[in-house]
Amino acid sequence: MNKKMYVASLLVLVLLFVAGCGKKEAPPEQATAKPEAAAAPATKIDPATVATVSGTVKFDGTAPKPQKIDMSQDPACKGANETETVEVSNGDLANVFVYVKDGLGNYAFDVPKEPVRLDQQGCRYHPHVLGVMAGQTVQINNDDNTTHNIHPSPKDNREWNESQPPKGAPITKDFARQEVLIPVKCNQHPWMKMYIGVVKNPFFAVTGKDGKYELKGLPPGTYTIAAVHEKYGEQDQTVTVAAKDSKSQNFTFKAGAGGAGGQ
Amino acid sequence: MAEPLTPDHDPIVTRSYALYYLIAIVLLVASLFWALWDEAYGQRPWKKYQAVFQERYGAFLKSARSQSAQAEKEVQGNPEYRKLAEAADAAEKQATPTIKKIGGQLKEVSARLLAVQNVFTDKRAWVNAKVYEIETEDSARGKQSKQRDLDKYKAQQFTVKFPDGSRKNFNFDQLEEEYNRLREEKARLNADLGELLKPVNEAKTKRDDYLKEHLVSLTPEQIAGLQKKTADWDTKIVQINVASANIVDRCESCHMGIREPVRLTPASLAAKGGKPDEYARAFVSHPDEELLQIHDPDKFGCSPCHQGNGRATTSVTKGHGDYEHWLWPLFARQNVESGCQTCHAADMMLHLTTGNVGQVISEGKFLFRQRGCNGCHKYEGYDREPEDLLNVQQQIKQKEEEQQGNLRRAAVLTKQADNATDNATANRLYAEAEALKVANSRIAGQIEQLDFRSRDLLRDLKKIGPDLKEVRTKLNKNWIPVWLHKPTDFRPTTKMPNFRLNDEQIKAISAFLWQVALTDKLPTAPKGDATRGKELFETRGCLGCHSIGEGPEMQGGDFAANLTRVGEKVNYDYLFRWIKNPRVRTRSYCPYEKKDIGPEDYAKHNLPYQFDFEHSTCPNDGHELQVEQMTVMPSLRLSDEEVADIASYLITQRQKDPASYPEAAFMDDPKLKEEGKKWIRHFGCAGCHEIAGFEDEGRIGTELTVEGSKPLERLDLALHTQKAQEGKEVITDKAILARLPEGPATSDWYNHKGFFEHKLAMPNIYDQGMMKAETEKLRMPDPHLNKDQIQALVTFLLGSQETSLPASYQYKPEDWRRDIQDGWWIVRKYNCVGCHQFTPGQPTSWQNVRRFQDPDWKEQFPPKLLTEGARVDPEWLMRFLANPALSQTDTHRNGVRPYLKIRMPTFFFSDMERRKLVRFFQALSQQPMPYTPERLPTLTAKETDMARSLFTSAAAPCLKCHATGDAAHDKTATAPNFLMAKDRLKPGWTERWITDPQSISPGTSMPSGLFRKDGDHYVFAGPTPSAFAGYDKDHRQLLVRYIFQLTPEEQRRVSGRMGRAPAGKKASSRKPAGSTPAGVQ
Repeated sequence: MNKKMYVASLLVLVLLFVAGCGKKEAPPEQATAKPEAAAAPATKIDPATVATVSGTVKFDGTAPKPQKIDMSQDPACKGANETETVEVSNGDLANVFVYVKDGLGNYAFDVPKEPVRLDQQGCRYHPHVLGVMAGQTVQINNDDNTTHNIHPSPKDNREWNESQPPKGAPITKDFARQEVLIPVKCNQHPWMKMYIGVVKNPFFAVTGKDGKYELKGLPPGTYTIAAVHEKYGEQDQTVTVAAKDSKSQNFTFKAGAGGAGGQ
Repeated sequence: MAEPLTPDHDPIVTRSYALYYLIAIVLLVASLFWALWDEAYGQRPWKKYQAVFQERYGAFLKSARSQSAQAEKEVQGNPEYRKLAEAADAAEKQATPTIKKIGGQLKEVSARLLAVQNVFTDKRAWVNAKVYEIETEDSARGKQSKQRDLDKYKAQQFTVKFPDGSRKNFNFDQLEEEYNRLREEKARLNADLGELLKPVNEAKTKRDDYLKEHLVSLTPEQIAGLQKKTADWDTKIVQINVASANIVDRCESCHMGIREPVRLTPASLAAKGGKPDEYARAFVSHPDEELLQIHDPDKFGCSPCHQGNGRATTSVTKGHGDYEHWLWPLFARQNVESGCQTCHAADMMLHLTTGNVGQVISEGKFLFRQRGCNGCHKYEGYDREPEDLLNVQQQIKQKEEEQQGNLRRAAVLTKQADNATDNATANRLYAEAEALKVANSRIAGQIEQLDFRSRDLLRDLKKIGPDLKEVRTKLNKNWIPVWLHKPTDFRPTTKMPNFRLNDEQIKAISAFLWQVALTDKLPTAPKGDATRGKELFETRGCLGCHSIGEGPEMQGGDFAANLTRVGEKVNYDYLFRWIKNPRVRTRSYCPYEKKDIGPEDYAKHNLPYQFDFEHSTCPNDGHELQVEQMTVMPSLRLSDEEVADIASYLITQRQKDPASYPEAAFMDDPKLKEEGKKWIRHFGCAGCHEIAGFEDEGRIGTELTVEGSKPLERLDLALHTQKAQEGKEVITDKAILARLPEGPATSDWYNHKGFFEHKLAMPNIYDQGMMKAETEKLRMPDPHLNKDQIQALVTFLLGSQETSLPASYQYKPEDWRRDIQDGWWIVRKYNCVGCHQFTPGQPTSWQNVRRFQDPDWKEQFPPKLLTEGARVDPEWLMRFLANPALSQTDTHRNGVRPYLKIRMPTFFFSDMERRKLVRFFQALSQQPMPYTPERLPTLTAKETDMARSLFTSAAAPCLKCHATGDAAHDKTATAPNFLMAKDRLKPGWTERWITDPQSISPGTSMPSGLFRKDGDHYVFAGPTPSAFAGYDKDHRQLLVRYIFQLTPEEQRRVSGRMGRAPAGKKASSRKPAGSTPAGVQ
């Protein structure tokens, strides 16, 4: 068909349509688009109702004896040093990382402004197990007269490895994602090892020599509490606390077992 | 009187047809309207798409703009931005008065210039005209008179009226001078202004760049531009037209968001409050920006990658080519990478800097080789070694013929010269004859090189399966028929496919193999310690390719066999020889005689029985022998003790007693031999195995190079055709159904994808219901692939098409990119990726080996090769690949990293493969070849002192981790010896490495932060030794120069100073191989 004719007939058609239908309404103005997936409403904790979970982590069996570490390769590493993998006194297991693994739902927690400290002294880490909130600053100090390097090997966080000169300026780092436990080592002093537990909430603790831990300020609810040991793995327990409750929850790790187990 | 004429009753006249006409008219008009409507809308569904897009995209942009404005505000509130903004304002403020002043001057000068120019141009025109007249005047008198006129004119006074009202008189020369002066003045002022504005503009650019860099999306202005573009959109066909490649793609008429500069997802383009619909899904951005950048749609269009009918606009189905008259339907989402094969057939590995595009197709290409598909199916590009070999052999033949021809011609010429009538002619002919002889010498050189290449290529020929001439020396006889029955029953992950053999076939085949195998006896091998052997097996490197354990217990790589039950099938003495050096053959093979050459052949010629790469000619006829096993398995350079330990461990790997296999006496029955031969030929066993008498056997399968474009009716679905069209599933077995990438069929699968998927899941499926003789049945064995593997292979096959694109679209580079293509072929051939990372995030076999999960074993991973080409000197790499021990005598070790338990094996690469690998690494790191090493200035005495003090200071404890060659010290070393640096490393890379090793090899033991930037150079970050006082140069460079000039004596001296435990002191007794590597608990 000739283009002109086509245009003409179209014109006729359009006229007919316009006459018939009248003017089409303009599409309604689109309202401002919906807000991007509204953040879940953050629940605030009522300090009047908070509960406490505490307990002791026991060790069942004979603990491997701590071994003496030969630090003669670096004269700057002074003092006695022994392995800290399994530290047991009177059946109490130290250096167990305990935290609320699940059950906190929509609570939002502010990340503490103050940093947590990790010290290198006498070519060992203090503390051996460190808890930190995701995003919270870790300040690393070197009090030794030798160079250390701090090398965490996380699975879900960014790996880094940084050198710190003798008595050098503190290094500050943070871990963005929850991960329990991240092994940390010094490549130059291979016996130097520690673990960092990174948690999204502030409810975590590390057992002391008495095997005790305490999680304070928990809102009422049902929680999964996990106890994680660098050698013996993780144990989970469920605990329900009412307002102002004070519950006790003990864990026992068995010699020889890795991972599974429980009370 | 005549009767009045009354017409008869005439039905035609009297009956009214108005109703029919009306109906016809209505129908006609209706069909006209329908035709017009259909023309305008019915045939143009894309109009609707464009209208919807305009609406939804507009709404999206509106919200994006407000978000962007919000984000902009946030960035602008940032102190860093404010600082930049303030700096920009301050710069502007400071410059403004001067700018204003100069602006004023400029204005004035311009006005004066204009006034002068007005007068001057007019006068200059008169003068120029007069000069021309003088030049063209013939008579001398005329010239003189005109010159006089000119002089007179130039002496006249002209009045210029300046803008301020003043007037001034100039003669012509003065006028010209004034004009030039004003012009220069104006240029100078302009330059001054530019100089003044420069810092202001720079500060502003800095501020704006900061904003752009810190805004995740576009700036509000950019979004406003998009909004305007969208609002002003006229409905029209959007088309990519590349005439030279015959590409006409109108896809973007509907897929309007594909190239928009904002990220569009189905959710962001759903109707208000609705779920993503067909429109929202059509409008999304292209999922990979990097891909589009490399393949500019204006050149490549859409259909060369995705297929479909780019010209069709009348419906979605037509456009996507999903109808029976279109041969190239759109690739399914799961096989979208098929499109890569169109141009990238020559690449074994396709990947981008980030993301995982290319993984599926690369896996498919790899599987095709790894599973031995090309043992039966020819595929262009998969026979590189044999094709090159054939090519080289033909070239040699041609060259030899050329030589013969030259000799004959030279003889003729010489004869002619001898009998020439005059000396000039004779000399010319002699010269010609000599030239031919010289040409022959050149050809001889060429032939020599081609001979080398052909030897290399013979060496590079590999088979995917083991050599079956060795079955008598290697295997438990009774195991063979059990294995042939169903290989996966014995070893679920084997590469050997299941052949569906019946008992007669199994008996005949095993009998043939047994009776034609070599009968030579192997020497008795020493026994070892299985416990030590287990540790060695798990730590020396075996698990880079092999796996052990079944199901969840499995660890190691999937490139080579799973050895969980190897003890049931193999003889100890053979295992010992194999582990020690798997390339050793019992007898060499002469391709010329087509015979295995044994000691008797050598004895006949009084030659010692010895064959290897140095002794590779046949004692009978001097032809090149096959001296190696055709396996890719390397040698780990183990000591005999280690070999015995590992062999002793492996021989214990059984689930039942080898003696418990039923006696297979029939294998010695000579009557079965011929029958066995027939079936071996029938099933094409020689495609993967070396079998006596089958060395030159051809392939039995269909060529698959363009299988994807085979017409559908030639893919024989036999009795399943109708069910396929009806979308009915024909596989019933649950285990086999699980192999289908998208599960049981739910819709029409009568297409290439459906055919391939079903065929690979169950190769004999199209025999179902057919009455066939044993020899007529489909021969393809069951490769027992999982659904990911089938998807990868189907993706590869679907893309295997004849293309109508011009050759220039094929990715067949001839530069460094070719080196990358060649390199990947070799890297995958020998499974270098089993141990080394070539691209960040690429998995290796060691990541699933249990011992290596311990963080203390982190240093025990083989080195990553992410920047290998930038790191090492290519000449050094050539040497290293030939001899990874870097020693002729001390071979049971790693040359570079003696502290690694895993050993870099010797692969016996041919020179050609080594060279290709070296070029590959250089190309991968974009390093030019040939490499010119940088000359480092020699250290002065003072510099040596400084560097030494830094090298040994407590703050830079380099030698704490780096090996020195001192055995006691190296027990705890986790890094290479510095003495190697000079030959091995590139200085520039070394400098970058010591600055920030974590960005070169993420996760390395070498820490970052040793140096910090101070102005334009780097200084040591720790306390600097006093010798550095007043030194203002780069500390890294100094240290690198020191390391590159380090001598063994110097290293001994400085390591003594480090206060390490004295070498003699027995710090700890030698630990067994499996204990914590760093020597501590």
